[in-house]
Amino acid sequence: MKDGGMQQKLRSEAKALLEQGKVDYIIGFEAGSLKFTTTPLITSDKDDIDRLVINPFIVNNLSVYLSELKGRAGIVVKGCDSRSIVSLLQDNKVARENVVILGVPCSGIIDLGKVEKLVGKDRDEIDDIIQDRDRVVITVDENRREFPIREVLFDNCLGCELPTPQEYDILLGELTSAASDEDKIASQKKINSLKNIPPEQRWEFWRSEFDRCIRCYACRNICPACFCDRCFVEETEPPWVLPVPRWQDNLVFQVIRNMHVAGRCTDCGECERACPVNIPLRSLTREMYDMVDELFHYKAGMDKEASSFLAAYEATDVEDFIR
Amino acid sequence: MKKVTDSKKISKKNIAKLLDEWRQEFTVLVPWRDETVAKWARWDGKDTSFLDWYRNTVVPPKAIFFPPMEEMFSFQKDREGYHLELPASDESKQLIFGIRPCDAKALAVLNMTFSDAYEDPYYLAKRNGGVLVGLGCTNPYDSCFCTSLDSSPTDSANVDLMLTDIGDDFLVEAITDKGKALMAKTSLAEAVTRADEARAKDVKETTYAKVTKKIDTEGIKEKLLSGFDNKDLWEKIAAKCISCGICTFLCPTCYCFDINDELVKNQGERFRSWDSCAFPLYTKMPMENPRVEKWRRLRQKVCHKYVFYPMNFDVIACTGCGRCIRLCPVNWDITQTLDNLSAEAQVKMEK
Repeated sequence: MKDGGMQQKLRSEAKALLEQGKVDYIIGFEAGSLKFTTTPLITSDKDDIDRLVINPFIVNNLSVYLSELKGRAGIVVKGCDSRSIVSLLQDNKVARENVVILGVPCSGIIDLGKVEKLVGKDRDEIDDIIQDRDRVVITVDENRREFPIREVLFDNCLGCELPTPQEYDILLGELTSAASDEDKIASQKKINSLKNIPPEQRWEFWRSEFDRCIRCYACRNICPACFCDRCFVEETEPPWVLPVPRWQDNLVFQVIRNMHVAGRCTDCGECERACPVNIPLRSLTREMYDMVDELFHYKAGMDKEASSFLAAYEATDVEDFIR
Repeated sequence: MKKVTDSKKISKKNIAKLLDEWRQEFTVLVPWRDETVAKWARWDGKDTSFLDWYRNTVVPPKAIFFPPMEEMFSFQKDREGYHLELPASDESKQLIFGIRPCDAKALAVLNMTFSDAYEDPYYLAKRNGGVLVGLGCTNPYDSCFCTSLDSSPTDSANVDLMLTDIGDDFLVEAITDKGKALMAKTSLAEAVTRADEARAKDVKETTYAKVTKKIDTEGIKEKLLSGFDNKDLWEKIAAKCISCGICTFLCPTCYCFDINDELVKNQGERFRSWDSCAFPLYTKMPMENPRVEKWRRLRQKVCHKYVFYPMNFDVIACTGCGRCIRLCPVNWDITQTLDNLSAEAQVKMEK
């Protein structure tokens, strides 16, 4: 089903949910204030429902709003976002009966940063970006150029293991298939290039990346897995790290954050996307994701009946210090 | 309008030479980017490619005068008590080449706070010794709205020297004595012709028209105050906000800071670093926090810029640079908020 069909179905389902009192509000996407952007729409007003959209720019992982909202919510999710919800269910942050999941079979989200690089123009200088199945047509100054869609999708989309939500109440379209091996390799390119350099050089790389961090905490606040009421960086007596944006403190903050979301991170890529100074945070979170998979055969948000990863222990775990 | 007799022109080809001359006296900072992010950096003595790509930086030039973190002093404790030492500073003679009018205006706004009841020595030492060479925009972003805030993409009001792109050359206007001194020293300036002046006027008008995002500031203070206690409206406005620090940290006029000491044994440093009203910790006090809910924090941010700052200094503390809109990871757009609040005030008035 095309996005237009899904969008129509979403609007009618969302309206029905509100009218029948099955949910208190809908969390979805509407057109953003800037060209090619979308923005979260959180509403209990059924007159707002016709603003809901589904298109290749619905980038946010809306499950981040679930733990702060009271009542029952109908929520629009892509595959990765649905895994975040499952992870929140496992951690008892959200009750299943309080969410109606409107699943979007996703064929990948367009990374506007990649589009800008590809055509050498800023987002607002581009006339049009149209996805046509596995191609994308980008128009700048009336000059149309066509590219394979994979060249402009987010890295994490390229390696997506679950494009269609597994956990849903209403599925808005037909199933889409997981990434090909070739695309999975492409999605790991940046990470592998880091893994293949000597440790000293890699340390230097991260030192310089975290030197740029301004400690705005967008990576933490956009992350559905970062749900603590009180983050360790806000401890002041004594402080664990200073709020001063020195590279050392910044790095410690990010490393601890990464430990805390191990087994909760679904590789939705929001931390990296939100970063205003473009620190490649996904290179850390994805590496952790793969380590958790390799060492503990665990993938976040795949099984709502499973124990939360960091709360579970098994005799077969690789680390035996606890036995 | 500035007197035309103050104008000169400089060929774009001579910009590197000009910067090199200025480098003898100042630390010259220019817009700079690599694979990472556009920010301000010390000119390397060669590269003027920013003239082609530069629209604006992600990190605003306020960071030059009011850095994300700075050491205020170091201290040492012995039997006699504490001994304080101020950090050595070499940042008093910086020349910012290419600052945009919105960001220059923002520095004028910051000056008001940092030289009001208390004169802030850290900011003022850097600011007073600094020189601002403005560069008018030719290609404003779709998120820019400076023309709604008594400014324009080619506004020369808050810089020492103003450059306007007239094709192969920049038209240069010396605005302040500092600017005039800069021009007096260089032999690279040429006389302007009538055609150059006409071209500059045309560029200014054309660029002004390119700023299409608008807000209505008429009675904005009163409108916001009339909706100040409208909890439902503010909750709706703040619903998608994730309370990160992007829009405040990267705002060219936001100046809040936190102070922390780091003590190891008997010595340490006192730092100040950017803080944000978006963070719950910002207003946390021993017994309570008056801004626990995020709508209260967002209301503070908007009202500080459009109500409280005008009350204190008679100027809106927003220059329409659009960074908060461009960089917001959930596309929260302050112009929509102002529109919503204005509309609500209108409804209230009609009742």
